[in-house]
Amino acid sequence: MRFLIAQVLPYITVTIFTLGVLYRLGRWAGARRVHNINLSPWVPDSGQMTVRIGTEAFLFRSLWIFDKGLWVGAIAMHLALLNIIGGHIVGFGFLGEQFAYIPGITVEMSKAASDMLGKIFGIILFVALAYLLLRRLTIPAVKQVNRTSDIFWLVFLLALVGIGNLMRFVYEFYMPYEHIYAYMAHLFTFQSVMGLPALDNYFFLAHFLLVQIMLILLPFSKLLHLFGMFGMRWLLHQPYQDPAPGLPNVDVQAARRAGLGVPAGDSSGGV
Amino acid sequence: MPEYKGMVQPVRATDAEMRKIHMEPVPDEQKPQKALEYLDYARKNYRSFVLAMESCVKCGQCAENCHTYLGTKDIHNIPTNRAELIRKIYKRYFTLEGRWFGKLVGAEDISLDVIEQWYSYYYQCSQCRRCAHVCPFGIDTCEVTFIGRQLLHWLGIVPKLHANVGAAMEKVGNHTGLPKPGIVDTLEFMSEEIMDEFGVEVEFSVDKPNSDIIYIPSSADFLLNPYTLMGAGMFFTYIGANWTIPSTVTEAGNFGLLFDQHYTQRHNVMRLLNAAQALNAKKIVWGECGHGWRAAKMYVPSLADRPVRWPITHIHDEIAELIRANQLKLDPTKITQPATLHEPCNYVRACGLNENMSTIIKSCVSDFREMSPNGANNFCCGGGSAILFDDPEMYQRRILLSSKKAEQVRATGVGANGNGILCAPCSICKAQLYPMVEEHELGVEVKGLVDLVGKALVWK
Repeated sequence: MRFLIAQVLPYITVTIFTLGVLYRLGRWAGARRVHNINLSPWVPDSGQMTVRIGTEAFLFRSLWIFDKGLWVGAIAMHLALLNIIGGHIVGFGFLGEQFAYIPGITVEMSKAASDMLGKIFGIILFVALAYLLLRRLTIPAVKQVNRTSDIFWLVFLLALVGIGNLMRFVYEFYMPYEHIYAYMAHLFTFQSVMGLPALDNYFFLAHFLLVQIMLILLPFSKLLHLFGMFGMRWLLHQPYQDPAPGLPNVDVQAARRAGLGVPAGDSSGGV
Repeated sequence: MPEYKGMVQPVRATDAEMRKIHMEPVPDEQKPQKALEYLDYARKNYRSFVLAMESCVKCGQCAENCHTYLGTKDIHNIPTNRAELIRKIYKRYFTLEGRWFGKLVGAEDISLDVIEQWYSYYYQCSQCRRCAHVCPFGIDTCEVTFIGRQLLHWLGIVPKLHANVGAAMEKVGNHTGLPKPGIVDTLEFMSEEIMDEFGVEVEFSVDKPNSDIIYIPSSADFLLNPYTLMGAGMFFTYIGANWTIPSTVTEAGNFGLLFDQHYTQRHNVMRLLNAAQALNAKKIVWGECGHGWRAAKMYVPSLADRPVRWPITHIHDEIAELIRANQLKLDPTKITQPATLHEPCNYVRACGLNENMSTIIKSCVSDFREMSPNGANNFCCGGGSAILFDDPEMYQRRILLSSKKAEQVRATGVGANGNGILCAPCSICKAQLYPMVEEHELGVEVKGLVDLVGKALVWK
């Protein structure tokens, strides 16, 4: 099992994830923007289009305007997730010493900061996911749109993040950065990973397995809303300029001087 | 058939009526298979549709923002759930997750019952795009309703109202079946009315060659909303325009947008371009019709079979421009009743007509009270996309669909003394609101925006 999860599955995961995302994006690209379905009020140029889509993607503009409760949970969850993904790459890649490149920060301070940030974002992510699950199970209108898979994904992510947090917070389960670094280096260079210390930690194996399951399913599930959002917004926020108003051969002043519409000989002031 | 297994449905067109709009109804036993074929076509061609099918995370944001759900509390009227009526079939046949995990991800086999569900719920959606406006991803459920209705049309299922309108448009160039002599007579009558009521001479010309402007009114303005057409006539006369109404297109609406965005809609587009060419026009100006304006402004470029030589603007754009340039003398003290503005969905969320209506009404009335929410956040009247069915079951549903609008109008207080004005500058809004303001006892009279311009113009 360890061989399967840690040695074989990662390559399968990367292959399915990559091909799956390309397949899904290919399906979308194959269909066309048939008509102009701009959503108004619209943006006049591509600069403002970028700002509009950017504020939706990174600040969740519409949620902020229409549902601040969901905005809080969604932005906390996604920002924490973004930081955790980045933290995994940078933290393991630099063994927690990434902040030491900043003048005045020592290696020890960097490791402490890396550990602290991991803990903070781990908690935020877990709490935000729990909040979103609670919202899904309690708000009447939201309960009415749930499918089993919607609940499944939140529970799945809570388990995934929960195990990650256990490794952060419980000393006995702690996973040194160096172990992950060594494991990943072996994977990237197609060497055998069996016998590496990282694989002795069952929490790591469980965490890593769940991550891989998520990545395998991601291209075929609603988790790909990440790309769908950009696709949909691109359709709705194309730059658009209204046709210029102005009627041909119309001279209102001349028309009024000529008294158009006013009956000849009418001297009353009624109209 | 007003109901099917507890679901309300509009009375549907007979086979003979379907043939008048060139559709041969599909036999029931073939409908499920054919529906899948048409769905396959839609997903391969319409990116807006396939993204709506594949990007929703079911956050529920759309629910409380849809007047249809707020009015009926029917869970299938939650925009994402309405989309789910197709999405469950889409998942089952066109996605791996649906094939592998079935009901776990909400996938379901196609059946006649599902098609009947589509007919019920896609004809309760007003295609108002408020869900797209509030959705964090911009998922445009209106596009799903478009596809749902398109599939139903190809299966031979269209409401009697929509099919007959489609056939009338093809036959005479308007939705009401009004022939050219009737148009000319009505316009002469309107000229007399304008003289009697306003003391102004307005000549309506029909098919006048070499007119600079062709004006496309809603055909309802000949019958139900005469002051809108009279107001347009007064406006064009006031500014000294060389204008005419083409007898071959006396219709601002295009029901093709609502049930068949292929032949029906394209046919109407080409009819318009032919009229503009025949009269050697320089510009096309559109009358008060929400969906019709969307169809004209946003769809003519992609549906025309030849380059479009004529700029197309809305009469509100032109009026507002002249107001801003101080070219129109309007006296708001001529209209002293409290007035509010219902901004039609297609104008504010699909056509960019956001500021101009406000500019115009504030120049025409002395007691204007803003509706809340307004602008792009406004709610639909409940009749959008021609949910104007008058059979008893659907009429009752229309009352529910308009309840959010009634709540908004009440909150403005314009009808407190029974003499308010509810300005609703769209023919479908007007047709919906004429009876609904009575049903909800709102104490207001429904009027168009150009009506108010006509009344407020100062001629000397």
